[in-house]
Amino acid sequence: MSPGAFQGVKIVEYATMVSGPYCGKLFADMGADVVKVEEPPSGDPARRRGPFPRDEAHPERSGLFLYLNTSKRGIALDLDRPDGLEAFRRLVAWADVLIDNHPPERLESLGLGWDELRQQNPGLILASLTPYGRTGPRAQAKGGELTSFHAGGLGNLLPTRSEDISRPPIKAGGYPTGYSTGLTAAVAIAGALYGRRANGDEGRLIDVSEQEAILALVRTNVASTIYHGTVWSRVPERPPALGRLKCKDGYVVALLIEDRHWRAFVDLMGNPEWASGPEWGTLFYRAGHLMEIADRIAEWAAQQSKEDVHHRGAAKGFAIGSVYSAEEVMNYRQYHARDYFVEVDHPEAGKARYAGWPYKMPASPPAVQRPAPLLGQHDKEVLEDLLGYSPAEFDGLRRSGAPWKASKQ
Amino acid sequence: MTNAAPLRGVRVLDFTWVWAGPYATMLLALLGAEVIKVESQGRMDIMRRMIIWPLFSPVPQQIPPNQGMSFGAINMNKLGVTINLEQPLGIDLVKRLVGVSDVVFENMRPGTMERSGLGYEELRRVNPGLIMLSSSARGATGPESHYAGYATVHHAIGGASYVTGYPDGPPSTTFGDVDLVNATAGAFAVIAALHHRAATGEGQFIDYSQCEGVSSLIGEVLLDYEMNGRSPGRQGNADELMAPHNVYPCWGVDRWVAIAVETDEEFAGLARVMGRPELAADPRFTDAASRKRNEAALDEIVSAWTRARDRDFIANMLMREGIAAAPSRDADDLFHDPHLEARGTFVEVDQPEVGPRRFVGAPWIMSECAVAPWHAPLLGEHNDYVFRQLLGISEEELAGLQRDGVVQ
Repeated sequence: MSPGAFQGVKIVEYATMVSGPYCGKLFADMGADVVKVEEPPSGDPARRRGPFPRDEAHPERSGLFLYLNTSKRGIALDLDRPDGLEAFRRLVAWADVLIDNHPPERLESLGLGWDELRQQNPGLILASLTPYGRTGPRAQAKGGELTSFHAGGLGNLLPTRSEDISRPPIKAGGYPTGYSTGLTAAVAIAGALYGRRANGDEGRLIDVSEQEAILALVRTNVASTIYHGTVWSRVPERPPALGRLKCKDGYVVALLIEDRHWRAFVDLMGNPEWASGPEWGTLFYRAGHLMEIADRIAEWAAQQSKEDVHHRGAAKGFAIGSVYSAEEVMNYRQYHARDYFVEVDHPEAGKARYAGWPYKMPASPPAVQRPAPLLGQHDKEVLEDLLGYSPAEFDGLRRSGAPWKASKQ
Repeated sequence: MTNAAPLRGVRVLDFTWVWAGPYATMLLALLGAEVIKVESQGRMDIMRRMIIWPLFSPVPQQIPPNQGMSFGAINMNKLGVTINLEQPLGIDLVKRLVGVSDVVFENMRPGTMERSGLGYEELRRVNPGLIMLSSSARGATGPESHYAGYATVHHAIGGASYVTGYPDGPPSTTFGDVDLVNATAGAFAVIAALHHRAATGEGQFIDYSQCEGVSSLIGEVLLDYEMNGRSPGRQGNADELMAPHNVYPCWGVDRWVAIAVETDEEFAGLARVMGRPELAADPRFTDAASRKRNEAALDEIVSAWTRARDRDFIANMLMREGIAAAPSRDADDLFHDPHLEARGTFVEVDQPEVGPRRFVGAPWIMSECAVAPWHAPLLGEHNDYVFRQLLGISEEELAGLQRDGVVQ
């Protein structure tokens, strides 16, 4: 296996759920040495979330946890015990990066606020991922996946087409806030690490807010609203050629803006006379009249199969795609042709194909270096090999009940 | 030792357009890279002259080239040059720039750069350590590599639309956010490749698939199929464990507040704020599992309370209780959010031709990263600097190139 791009980079991940763990995964899959610190008794709360095989909840079989924590080593530390905290201190002194998605007050209360961390390890990059960031009037406010998604402005736009506009705006499916926040932080961390490596920079504090990670993704909509006066909102109806079409076996999504794309679409429909007149050739005309033929387009679509429309439409050169379910994604020929999926064998959960990476990097290919850690799986090797605890010290700690006590309950 | 912008000294040659590419190179610029955006009069970033509407609009969409503000919002801190890629001398000029650059970033259809004589194999001859990222709809290889696409189509193909929507309704795409999130992952890959080059001296070609970019962000959804042979459906705002966990109607027109209750203490706090402390002892709601079981009834109770109250009042009251609550914000709300104001989330640039404009800045606050925001480049604004100072082209030669339409 070729070494990943972040080989040699040492990261401590003190993070739960999605944002911090996804951030850590991005580096771990590229070869960084990521040590995930979980707090007993139950560790990362993501372990309590599905999917689980056969829907039987089990802390070592959470699909969410397994996906987000590939390639890491795991250690269970009780930071509220002096010996657990001491081990954590030594880990942070070892690290190049600390990923923390707890409220900053948590580490501050343990004597490990940014000033102290920096003093102890001047090269340390601290990435702090919080709902609203570390400054400003809402710095201490609680937040999470749902509230940050709506606070950041993306929720207000969804669903894009809403048959009943009196229903509430929604969050996109899954954990979009967590993933986006982790990804955003990863760019900043990777940049800061490069500054250290290439320009002799020291450590830094990186403050990432979930609200802003979402807002960053709708920045063009915001600029367009503020300066061009466009309205972005959920809308009750939308011309079918600019969005979703319902076929007999599912949905396709198409975007027909350019005139040639519209013509190609009409051709796909078999050039019905109601859409073929020369007047339809301009966007201006279509803007005013498309709704008049919406029912006829819908009627045509209802008789088609989505994959047929998808591939025939794509062959004609316009942007169209089927709405794929998890099953269809996992069986998607294009992904298989590109070896997108990666099989991972986990000691508790068994074999499964996981989503891979959207970037092919032949000189430094990402890879799952190891399956997600069991809770406390690497206590001994991390403490002894990385931090230089002697076997006797390690055993002493274990007998004293820390840091494992609770994790083995 | 003092820190400065971490990517200082990195030069990026930017052939990107629309959204999925330009935001990636802007992120690199906001970390201190010198980004040179290559366009021409005939092939300019189409966002320069567009107003993006959610619907087909009878309002004219074409505006003067430097005034499209969705362009301005994702092209800050770049240099702009104009080179005609249809002329051999233009290709030569690009290659000279490649020779002094670290990264080439492009998001045209696979094969387009090759046809211009600017494929990776060609460019690495000029610069063996070059990092080149090509971002395309479905990747540069495979049977569908030539398919066109936009953000919404990637969202559908990638599996995210299927899980977005009301439980009893059709699937929903999102918007251009898909492009921007793919841009973020692309920027990450480029910086990773810079690390690899720093360690080994080796450059590489990065083939980026925007559909795969969507799928990588729903890893647990896909694992449900792997584990249980099942495709998860749509859940609206619901969470698998928490209740209340929804967006509730407030006083006014299209006003909403998102509320997420995690613990029993938080639920007791919500009940108190609602003036219904007895709810905390209601057997239907005593713990998370029972609240989740009785979620519909709970949503009714919470809605009845929120409906008669102001959105921001509710959010503020609940936040004070330590409960996650937030208005569902639109663009105007965000633009005027005092919290974002205090954090300097929006930055002001002096946009030539139109005046001061406030855009969302870097999506992080990094200590000692001194990158002052400046306006998205006018078409060809930095031709002099780039060609004369960077490449050392003489005034006469540049005049000749301009006369011949190579530099437009």
